[in-house]
Amino acid sequence: MTSNIRTRLLGQEVSVSVSDTWLAYWLVVLRVVTGWWLLHAGLDKLVNWPFDASWFVGSTAAETSLGPFVTLFDSGILLTFTNWAVPIGQTLIGLGLIVGALTRTAAFFGAFLMLFFYFINGETGGWDHGLVTGELLGLLIFGMIATLGAGRVLGIDAYLAESDIIRDYPRLRYLIG
Amino acid sequence: MEQLDTIDRIALYLGGGLVLIGVVGIGLIEMIGGTSHPVSGEGQIEHDALVPLEIRSYIILLGLLIWGLYAVYRVVATKPEGGAAST
Repeated sequence: MTSNIRTRLLGQEVSVSVSDTWLAYWLVVLRVVTGWWLLHAGLDKLVNWPFDASWFVGSTAAETSLGPFVTLFDSGILLTFTNWAVPIGQTLIGLGLIVGALTRTAAFFGAFLMLFFYFINGETGGWDHGLVTGELLGLLIFGMIATLGAGRVLGIDAYLAESDIIRDYPRLRYLIG
Repeated sequence: MEQLDTIDRIALYLGGGLVLIGVVGIGLIEMIGGTSHPVSGEGQIEHDALVPLEIRSYIILLGLLIWGLYAVYRVVATKPEGGAAST
């Protein structure tokens, strides 16, 4: 089975044929691998507790364009929040992507995390080999997962999409796959 | 065919345009017009940037923020009956 996508971009009519099977298959592979990336990162921090992000949000971030905002989190209660939010957030994002639950929300926050990793790691040496890094590609993959609503393929979001709450509050469909 | 409104166009073209200019466009300018840049033994490209890295960062960051804000806007602005968000 093949779907034909037709739309306009930059004033041009464009069309593309996509194999339904391969698209669905690829969405699941992409979701599970990206989900495991984050789940592993989160669980690894929780298993090897305590996790201390002070070096990242403090002296490292201070040298970068995100410094004025991120360094607000380098001490006190905001650092404690960061130390918990990063591993728990990564774990939840990973789980959400793997099981396809609240997939767009998970992908949004995955991209949000990558934004910090991309600029802070990049501007402190990660861009020595060029600006296209794993973090930027990760961010784009999260964008793709959110755009395509990947959670509806073999995911819990397929059931959530049929629920009364999504029917009653259509804007919530942007939070699921 | 899906109708795009002004905010859709801003997200598509301005957001994406800034990311592409920052990553690809300035990258090309650096490669062609920048100082010669030998590659070190560790693969690092050593040369002075033609466009300051900070400016390049802000261009990409602005593009990514436009995409992110658009995602939030989609959720907030969708009408209860399920119609498309209006501008």
